[in-house]
Amino acid sequence: MRDFDLLQPQHLSDALDALAQNDSAIRPLAGGTDMLVDIRAQRAKPDVLVSLQNISELRGITRENGTLKIGAATTIAEFLKHPELTKHDALRYAAYVFANPMIRNSATIGGNIGSASPAGDMLPPLLALDAHIELVSKNEARVMPLSDFFLGPRKTAKRANELITSIQLPVISYQSPVSSLQSPVSSAFYKLGLRQADAISLISVAVWIQRDGEKIRDVRIALGAVAPRPMRAIRAEEILRGEIFNEMNLKESARIASEECSPIDDLRASANYRRRMIAVYVRRMLEQAWSKTQ
Amino acid sequence: MQKKTILFSLNGEPREWSVYPNELLLNVLREQEFLTGTKYGCGIGECGACTVHINGEPILSCLTLAIACEGKEILTIEGLAREGKLDPVQIAFLDQTAFQCGFCTPDMILMTRALLNEIPNPTEEQVRDYLRGNLCRCTGYASIMRAALDASVLNAHRSVQSNEE
Ligand SMILES: Cc1cc2nc3c(=O)[nH]c(=O)nc-3n(C[C@H](O)[C@H](O)[C@H](O)COP(=O)(O)OP(=O)(O)OC[C@H]3O[C@@H](n4cnc5c(N)ncnc54)[C@H](O)[C@@H]3O)c2cc1C
Ligand code: FES
Ligand code: FES
Repeated sequence: MRDFDLLQPQHLSDALDALAQNDSAIRPLAGGTDMLVDIRAQRAKPDVLVSLQNISELRGITRENGTLKIGAATTIAEFLKHPELTKHDALRYAAYVFANPMIRNSATIGGNIGSASPAGDMLPPLLALDAHIELVSKNEARVMPLSDFFLGPRKTAKRANELITSIQLPVISYQSPVSSLQSPVSSAFYKLGLRQADAISLISVAVWIQRDGEKIRDVRIALGAVAPRPMRAIRAEEILRGEIFNEMNLKESARIASEECSPIDDLRASANYRRRMIAVYVRRMLEQAWSKTQ
Repeated sequence: MQKKTILFSLNGEPREWSVYPNELLLNVLREQEFLTGTKYGCGIGECGACTVHINGEPILSCLTLAIACEGKEILTIEGLAREGKLDPVQIAFLDQTAFQCGFCTPDMILMTRALLNEIPNPTEEQVRDYLRGNLCRCTGYASIMRAALDASVLNAHRSVQSNEE
C-alpha cells in the first residue's frame, strides 16, 4: 500500500491544527472502510492521514436545546443499539441493511457523509429527518442543512481544513419514545439492491411524515442513487403537504418524485427501471410511515 | 514513514509490535505472527475471510491499520480454544463437517461466536443475516447454517455447565 504518515490526535483541536497547517494531501481517516479501499485502488493519494479514532469529542449522542446531536465518529453499529437512534425507523432500517456486521463496527456516520456517494445508505434517512451538519475548522464553526452539503458525486461543501464534528436532528423528527404506534410522526426507508444482503443500492427512498388527523401536516422525501447526489424530492413533497392522505395524492407525489430524479443507466440497472422503482417505493414508504402514525 | 511501537493483547497474551502507519492488521498477523488462520481473500472488505475480533466485536483486518490496535484486545481463530478445550462453535462446525476447503472456516466460526455473544438463541434468519458478509465458495452454506444453530445449543449447555462448576 502507498506510504503515508498517520497522526493520531487525542483532541479535536490537534486534529484541526494539523488540517490547518497542511496542504490538500492530508485527509481525515475515520473507520477507513472507504478510505483504505480508495488508497489501495489509488483513487485517494494522501501523504498524511489524521485518524479521528481517539478523539472523544467526536463520539457520543446527546440532546441539547431541542436537537439530537450525533458525534461524527458514531459507528453504523451504534445506530442499531443506541436508544436515541433506534427510535427513528428510517435510520434504524438503513443501518440494518448497511453492509454487514463487520463493516458496521468500523464504518462511521461522518465517513458516510464525507464520502458523499449518491448511494450512501444513511444519507436519504438523514435528509428525510432534516439533519443539519456541523463543520468545524481551526477558526470557524458552522452548521448547515445536510441538503446544502452535497454538491455532486463525492463533492461537498466541506473545506479541506474542516472536519464534520456532528450531525444534528431536530426533536420534531422524533417518534414517540413509548411506541411509534402512538406518534403523529414516523419515518421509513427502503434500499433496493440486486440481492438482499450486502449490495449497493440501485435506488433508495426515505420518507418522514407528520400527521394531523387525516391530513399530512408535513412530509419529507429523500432519494438515493438516482441523481449526482442524495436529494430531496421537493416537488413531490409539495403535492402532499397539508393535503389529505389518499390514493390520488400519493400516486401524484410518487409520479413527480420519479420525474424529479435524474438516474443514469449503468451495469446494475437502467435509468428507466430506476425511475419506475422510485415511483413504486416512494408510494410504499409513504404508506408504511403513515400506517405507523396516529 | 516512521515505525511506531504499539502495545496490545493478542489471543490473551500481551504483545508489542513495531509497525509502519500503512501496515494492515491482516498482514502483520499473517507475516509477523504467522497466525495464518486469518485469511487474505479479497483485501477490500468484500469476502469476510480476514475477520478477527477486536474488543469482542468482529471487524475486517484487511480494512484495519495495525497501528490503530494500540491498547486493544485482538482475538484470532488461533486463540478461540481455551486450555486445549475447543469452543462450542468449533465443536459444532466439526460435528456438522461445515467446511470443504476450509478457507472460510475461521471467519465463519469467529462470526458465529460473535453472533452468539450478542444473540444466544438466534433464529435461522438471524444467522443468515449476521453471516451475510462472509462468503463460502464450497459448502453452499447449508452445513454452516446447521453448525451455527447447533452451536447455540452447545453453547447454552456449556454456560450451564460452567455455572454449575
Ligand atoms: C464491503 C463494503 C461494503 C459497504 N457497504 C456499504 C453500504 O451498504 N452502504 C453504504 O452506504 N456504504 C457502504 N460501504 C461504504 C463505507 O463503508 C461507508 O461509506 C462508511 O460509512 C464510510 O465510513 P468510514 O468511517 O469507514 O469512513 P472513512 O473511509 O474513514 O472516510 C471516508 C471519507 O470521509 C472522510 N471523513 C471521514 N470522517 C470525517 C469527518 N468526521 N470529517 C470530515 N471528513 C471525514 C474521509 O476523509 C474520507 O474521505 C461499504 C464499504 C465496503 C468496503
Ligand atoms: S480479505 Fe478482508 S474482507 Fe476479504
Ligand atoms: S469451505 Fe471452502 S470457502 Fe467455505
